[in-house]
Amino acid sequence: MIKFDRFILDNGLKVIVHNDPSTTLVAVNLLYNVGARDENPEMTGFAHLFEHLMFEGSIHIPSFDNPLQLAGGENNAYTTNDITNYYITLPKKNLETAFWLESDRMISLDFSEEKLEIQKNVVIEEYNQRYLNQPYGDAYLFLRPLAYKVHPYQWATIGKDISHIRNARLKDVKDFFMHHYAPNNAILSVAGNITKDEIEKLAIKWFGPIKNRDIAKRNIPREPKQTTPRTLTLERNVPFDAIYKAYHMSSRMEHDYFITDLISDLLSNGKSSRLYQKLVKENQYFSSIDASITGDIDEGLLVISGKIMKGISFEIAEKAIENELGKIISDNIDDYELNKVKNKYESVHQFGQMNAMNKAMELAYNELLGDAEKINREVENYRNVTLNDIRKSALILFNKNNCSTLYYKTKN
Amino acid sequence: MSINRTIQPPFQSIDSIKLIEPEKIILNNAIPLYNINTGTQDVLKIDLSFDAGSWFQEKPLISNTVNEMLAEGTSHLTSMEIAEKLDYYGAFIQSNPSKDFAGMTLFTLKKYLPETIHILEDIIKNPVFPEHELRTYISKRRQSFQIEMEKVSNLARRKFNEQLFGKDHPYGKNPNLDDHDKITRADLIDFHEKYFHAANCRIMVSGKTDQETIAQVNARFGNTDWVNKTKPGIISTSINETIEKDAFIKKEDVTQSAIRIGKQTINKHHPDYPKLEVVNTILGGYFGSRLMKTIREEKGYTYGISSFLVSLKNAGFFVIASEVGADSARSAIEDILNEIRKLREEKVSPEELKLVKNFMIGDMMRSFDGPFELAQSYQSIIDLGIDNAFFNRTIDAIKTITPEEIIQLANTYLNEKSMVKTIVGKFD
Repeated sequence: MIKFDRFILDNGLKVIVHNDPSTTLVAVNLLYNVGARDENPEMTGFAHLFEHLMFEGSIHIPSFDNPLQLAGGENNAYTTNDITNYYITLPKKNLETAFWLESDRMISLDFSEEKLEIQKNVVIEEYNQRYLNQPYGDAYLFLRPLAYKVHPYQWATIGKDISHIRNARLKDVKDFFMHHYAPNNAILSVAGNITKDEIEKLAIKWFGPIKNRDIAKRNIPREPKQTTPRTLTLERNVPFDAIYKAYHMSSRMEHDYFITDLISDLLSNGKSSRLYQKLVKENQYFSSIDASITGDIDEGLLVISGKIMKGISFEIAEKAIENELGKIISDNIDDYELNKVKNKYESVHQFGQMNAMNKAMELAYNELLGDAEKINREVENYRNVTLNDIRKSALILFNKNNCSTLYYKTKN
Repeated sequence: MSINRTIQPPFQSIDSIKLIEPEKIILNNAIPLYNINTGTQDVLKIDLSFDAGSWFQEKPLISNTVNEMLAEGTSHLTSMEIAEKLDYYGAFIQSNPSKDFAGMTLFTLKKYLPETIHILEDIIKNPVFPEHELRTYISKRRQSFQIEMEKVSNLARRKFNEQLFGKDHPYGKNPNLDDHDKITRADLIDFHEKYFHAANCRIMVSGKTDQETIAQVNARFGNTDWVNKTKPGIISTSINETIEKDAFIKKEDVTQSAIRIGKQTINKHHPDYPKLEVVNTILGGYFGSRLMKTIREEKGYTYGISSFLVSLKNAGFFVIASEVGADSARSAIEDILNEIRKLREEKVSPEELKLVKNFMIGDMMRSFDGPFELAQSYQSIIDLGIDNAFFNRTIDAIKTITPEEIIQLANTYLNEKSMVKTIVGKFD
């Protein structure tokens, strides 16, 4: 059970406070309700580029990092297809510095052409390092547009095409800020040895004066149901073939989300899981295999990805995967096996609550999903999944017409 | 009422850190057990560490393979049974092979400790390395090895180690693809017998521990039935006579080149080490470091660049690591060397030094915040045989170091003219 307090400032900023007396540090997490899915299809990668600019100084403060480091703090951020999340840990005594810094960059940034140019280069190097210069690094850049024809999940956070970053103009960047960064589009979550009163005072002092803004209306097209199998073959300079199979699944808000997550665990969580035991250990068709869900708020994907052993054809490898998926539907899972993956989930959940930062992040994210209290119902949601739920969901999920397959082929 | 947003709210430099030292308990068979009882969740982490790293192996890959195959079958349980039980109790195990050490970590819910520690005992004491499991392991490892060999960062790390220590030195030697086929079951059994026993073991227990926890660990690992009296042989190390100072490995079709620059230097045993860590932090040890400012934030050559002081048991080295745009390698290296030179020649400003000091103390607080963090911090010195006061010496060093000392330390230990360079990818 995570206990917390909650209040909303007049400008719409939601604030969550969690008391954890076991730590001398404080975790400050600021979630903005904007991600790659909110981008204009002609200007993708902006949410992430913007995350970089958030560290380049704000309207009254030339450097974000220096004063924070001076106060013994450390920070980072990440961008997903749904959110942009900023987080700080610092000694409790110096908590106010975090409020000062975060509130100032919510008011406005110190935009300049030079800073934009530099961060464009850094992001292009990030793209090179993570996606191009790693074996199999670009697979998801092709898998996404294969699975999504309409929904903006078709591009990764780095963007649809790196030229969008290269061509980004200062005006577009400023517009992006004004339409998405605002107290009424953010959730502040603070965890540590703190009280609601002291956080409320600080929040009112630093964030209270910031005016709410008109947030761009979210108008995301829903992905139409996929009706035929889709395939794509890529040839790359890699030592072994790999296969990626993506199946459309439910949104984060539906009960089906928990069911599908458990299906992915039955398939590949831990060394006793089905895909590992059958396809890596027994048949030895794969050197590694994984099944996981993308965890998106809108309708996401369950993706199975594997590196195929030398000498094994795509056809044999794919049949073997489909055969295992078929077994989830046919009647051979028992309560023991379902309990095993539920136990594992519960354990991960416990370990995940060991530090204040994780708790602050989870609370903010659950508040975004509608109610921070959801965090305390997670285990129960997973516990409530039945064998029948698994079969029913798997039947719809693993339909051939619901699948996009990427054959990642070695060149030669 | 309007507030002045241009001025940082009052803050304090942190004077002291609450260090919770582990309680040391000697088990019946003389294994030292370190106990850290703190935290909010009913979970436990148990680390067993052995002097059994690749330093000790007579053939490539043996130490790693032994460590990673401990859970692939024992005299009582098959690989599948081990995996099944651990998964059922929601427990995780992790093997920790490195150059000096090897070992196993168990993460478990406290309520399931009796079940999970029983499995941990079995995989540590009674592994049998079944032949068919070994074949499966090797064919998997061959593939992942070949994938790793496509990465410029991995190629650079290998070459750099070779340059620093020499091709035949235990710290400089790299495994090759063919070496995978030479591993035999007998090698593994032999290595396990020599090194995985009580006289060569340390245990760290952290989380919500109590007397019962310690009693259970003692019951499983405190007996004299797994003490091996045979002392491991002396490891012969050749001195690296001919240093290859600049190495370049060409790799076509890359978008980035990997760079490594560094040299052998002191490790944590040396009294100058804590202050040298401050010097390293200024240069490349945190997000606001000089290397990050120049190579990433001013020039935009890279997504990230860092420098490290690495403490091995029998050596220490300094290394700068980065992946830079394929066309920028030459300019990036020039800028890097220039940053080291500045550190040797110019006094650090009081503002920068204060910032680094405060950041480092804050960072130490973070590395002691929580049971697993404490365990990791203490294990890093206990394994090396360093006393707990190391952390107090570090705090003291951070607080007292002067700009003059920084110049002196940089000149003594980090002269760029004596460093080796490795580049993998393109170089003009």
